[in-house]
Amino acid sequence: MTSRRAFLKSGGVALFGIGIGGVPSFMAKAAALNQSVAPYKKKKILVCVFQRGAMDGLMAVTPFTDNYLKAARPTLFMEAGSGKPLTDLDGRFGLHPAMKSFEPFFTDKRLAIVHGIGSPNTTRSHFDAQDYMESGTPFSKGTPSGWLNRAVGLLGHDASPFRAVSLTNSMPRSFYGDHPSVSITNLQDFAIQMRGNPAGANVAAKSFEDLYDKTTTGLLKETGKESFDALRMLQKANLSSYKPALNAVYPVCPLGNALKQIAQLIKMDVGLEVAFAESGGWDTHFNQGREQGVFARNAADLSNSITAFYNDMGPLQEDVTIMSMTEFGRTVRQNGTGGTDHGRASCNFILGNDVNGGLVHGQIQPLATENLEDGRDLAVTTDFRTVFREVACRHLNIQDKGTLFPSYSGAPIGVMRS
Amino acid sequence: MKKNLAVPVSLTLAIIITCLCSFFAAPDVKGPGRFPYKQAGLTERQAAAHLINRFTFGAKPGDIDAVVNIGLEKWFEQQLKGGLADDSLQQLLSAYSWLTMSNAEIVNTYPRPGKVVRAAVKEGLISKDSVNKTDKKEYREQLRLMMEQNSQRPQQELFRQLISQKIMRAAVTNNQLHEVLTDFWFNHFNVSITKNDCAAYIPAYERDVIRPNVVGEFRELVLKTAKSPAMLLYLDNFSSAGNNAGINNPGKAMVGKRLLAQRAAQQNDTALAGKFARKLQQAKKAQGLNENYAREVMELHTLGVDGGYTQQDVTQAARVLTGWTIYPSEDYGSVNAIRRMIERIGEDKLARGGFVHEGDFLFAMNRHDNGEKIVLGRKFPEGGGYEEGVQLLQMLADHPSTAKFISRKLAIKFVNDNPPQALVERMAKTFIEKKGKISEVLLTMVASPEFWSKQSLREKTKSPFELAMSSVRSLNASISQPYQLYTWINKMGQKMYYYQAPTGFPDKGQYWINTGALLNRMNFGLALAAQKIQGVKVDLLALNNNHEPESANSALAVYSKMMLPERDLGETIKRLTPLLNDPMLDSKIEQAAEKTAPIKDAAAGTGMSTADQLSQDDAMLVSSKQAGKKGRQQTRYTSDMAATKYPMLGQVVGIIIGSPEFQRR
Repeated sequence: MTSRRAFLKSGGVALFGIGIGGVPSFMAKAAALNQSVAPYKKKKILVCVFQRGAMDGLMAVTPFTDNYLKAARPTLFMEAGSGKPLTDLDGRFGLHPAMKSFEPFFTDKRLAIVHGIGSPNTTRSHFDAQDYMESGTPFSKGTPSGWLNRAVGLLGHDASPFRAVSLTNSMPRSFYGDHPSVSITNLQDFAIQMRGNPAGANVAAKSFEDLYDKTTTGLLKETGKESFDALRMLQKANLSSYKPALNAVYPVCPLGNALKQIAQLIKMDVGLEVAFAESGGWDTHFNQGREQGVFARNAADLSNSITAFYNDMGPLQEDVTIMSMTEFGRTVRQNGTGGTDHGRASCNFILGNDVNGGLVHGQIQPLATENLEDGRDLAVTTDFRTVFREVACRHLNIQDKGTLFPSYSGAPIGVMRS
Repeated sequence: MKKNLAVPVSLTLAIIITCLCSFFAAPDVKGPGRFPYKQAGLTERQAAAHLINRFTFGAKPGDIDAVVNIGLEKWFEQQLKGGLADDSLQQLLSAYSWLTMSNAEIVNTYPRPGKVVRAAVKEGLISKDSVNKTDKKEYREQLRLMMEQNSQRPQQELFRQLISQKIMRAAVTNNQLHEVLTDFWFNHFNVSITKNDCAAYIPAYERDVIRPNVVGEFRELVLKTAKSPAMLLYLDNFSSAGNNAGINNPGKAMVGKRLLAQRAAQQNDTALAGKFARKLQQAKKAQGLNENYAREVMELHTLGVDGGYTQQDVTQAARVLTGWTIYPSEDYGSVNAIRRMIERIGEDKLARGGFVHEGDFLFAMNRHDNGEKIVLGRKFPEGGGYEEGVQLLQMLADHPSTAKFISRKLAIKFVNDNPPQALVERMAKTFIEKKGKISEVLLTMVASPEFWSKQSLREKTKSPFELAMSSVRSLNASISQPYQLYTWINKMGQKMYYYQAPTGFPDKGQYWINTGALLNRMNFGLALAAQKIQGVKVDLLALNNNHEPESANSALAVYSKMMLPERDLGETIKRLTPLLNDPMLDSKIEQAAEKTAPIKDAAAGTGMSTADQLSQDDAMLVSSKQAGKKGRQQTRYTSDMAATKYPMLGQVVGIIIGSPEFQRR
């Protein structure tokens, strides 16, 4: 809990000097000078996208040479190669056609895929599996904090009100915990609002700012100050007329909208370091489709949103790594309604300049029944914690000494460049 | 010095006289004696304000007078006892039909969305090929019609009503302390709508398990939550079975199912293989020990994380609780194995086999681990059956670590975020002496000087729910659409009933106050006072005997005194005066208000569409009829927006609600 307060009292003072009568906010100052805030330069940013509902990893990245899979999925399986739907990645795995925008990143080795990733806890309940993945403790429900909140705690340096931001309508489990974080669906809501009455809103804003500035309660006073600093920064940014960098087109979908706003925060240099967004609709029990259909639509939204975001980053790509995750995978066999049921392992995507890309990491056996978990599911061969830890520690430059994933000691598998 | 002596003496006399009077007036009340607020330098009115701040959802106009008239001690005893007449609340609650339904009726009336779709496919109303393919509108209409014919309602409606009744109760009930404690104990024994399996059982959980037991013996809460379907499903104990479980021998069954699954796979029969694989999974699920509940009942419900138990104790306790499951009242995947088991054995033979069936609870003897266990040094001999589980939970509930853990949590809730150790010890002592009687522990707390000290006064930060409730109460608002308040409460950071972790919402100021949440608190105040929250009407003039304050300054003085009674508001008023003194202020605000398009405003004021509260499945089940109805209500509502006539007043009241002082209680 000390970080944010401590910074305003010590770090901020040291950097900017101080006037009499209170601690000046470094951000308000920067905003007033119309320049970006120096201490936030060169901060690394980790963006996590949770695919809720359990993505069929075998359809997203298909081991297309596997005849068992072909037999198990008579109406879902696709072939790779010229004139065939899948993009051949490495002679064994093929990328879903709706994810074509990922291909160039894979080719220039910035996109890594981990296949066979999942949780050691074999639950096939969405709730339990998401809960375990987000708390980062697959066998303990009572862990009060989420793994990303603990990651924020490990950063060990000055905090901004926007250090950890989730573009969701309530705080995700990953962000639960002691380190301040914000969840918001629309940055434009970050304002004192009286619709149709801007004069009234102005008076109210001035009144509130003054009241909070003079209150004797430390928590309310400091948070109040930060809130108004943050509000001014966003006001300056002119959110509604945001133009993404050249050739970045965000798809019109919740994830595209969320990532666009994360991009805005990053470009504004407001001190964002950990961001979170969600993508839904992956629970494809019915008619999941092949080149087209539910899965393809979701896959297109996911990959096009991430691609637009990454392109939009331009020169800031250096600082940003984005990682997807999903609670589990789906059955190897298709079910009786053209879909797939809850399974075990899935795959995930990690995109960034420090990623050991161009590879499908992890181990996947031929999908013969005897190799499957419980005779039905792609076996979990890589613990999600090993990947999350490697990505977070490497990219955010933090050390996990048992805090991030308590009592877990899996070694890194090399998804990041060393 | 000498001159001042007279005052305390006469005060003391007054106290003695009052004590004697109240003693003679109510000889049957075994009170704790006077609350020691005078020693802390508080007047009776200030003390009454403090009591109201802590044990209600906020003062309504006139509440302080009422408490002083009744007498602080007597008022508190009344509140502890509960059962005060609540006619207007009962009338409001009659709109919520599930309040009189059993769990079985609830799950049948408000089926899970997935179940509705499956039923529609089964009845041939929609073809299974069309799911995800056909026009959503047509599909939705089919489902709606089917549900109507079966007298069913969308499940989302149940959850909305659950939320709405909570808001109505907090806003209206005369039994405020029971409602505050219901919120507290629900959060302590948290279950979450985010977990689908248990969601449908949460309304009855709050109604039957939590609310009737909030001031009684703590062990009742532990035992009843342990046996409730909501908790059994939320923390998975329903599936926990001993490895030596006899009768249905799941181990053997699994081998068979695995073989069948493999054979079907070899024959390339997809559907069959899938079916067997699912069966196999169910069998597997049914056989194992699940420690989740056993761990959390110790860590979160009773002993506390430092309560002195080991992983070994967790495993042993989980073994004691094997076979504690639900008596299924619906056809649903997770519990169908139990249904089939009951059918196989036969309801009439259950008792003879050592089974216990009580309402929605089932102790399944054949899933119980019959061996010897040792938990926290206490031996549970072989063959203890259902009773050993009861004994275990009683032992945990009565444990000295529990006494401290629960006392501390209560003190955090009602005193401050870091309660003094001496107070916690005193409460824990009462807890042990009075066998965990919650009302006694609370009495000890309120009779302690720490409760009345400066370190306690106004030191708690209101949760978003408390902020919203104290606002509507302080303004005597009339609420016709409580769910609209919930969209704000959620926006301010408290998605009630949806907190995912079994820890419940953290009870500390730092958790609630962050930049985004704080701005939303201010916006909430402005929206409420400007009548821009649909279905929540405030009559600001009526509060001041229909007298319109002549200036912003006088409005500030009058309304802040009314809404923040017995507080030193000098600083607040001093800060705001120059801002509100802008001679152009009134005309500026009025001009701006005239330009407002009220209908658009009312919708925008909530800041959130109701649709984004709904999952895709749920959204499909909300009929367009409802949307139409909402539109009409909106129009009717905007025609009497009193506050738009007095924008200055609305603005001042909005600022008071958003002010730092109003965030504290």
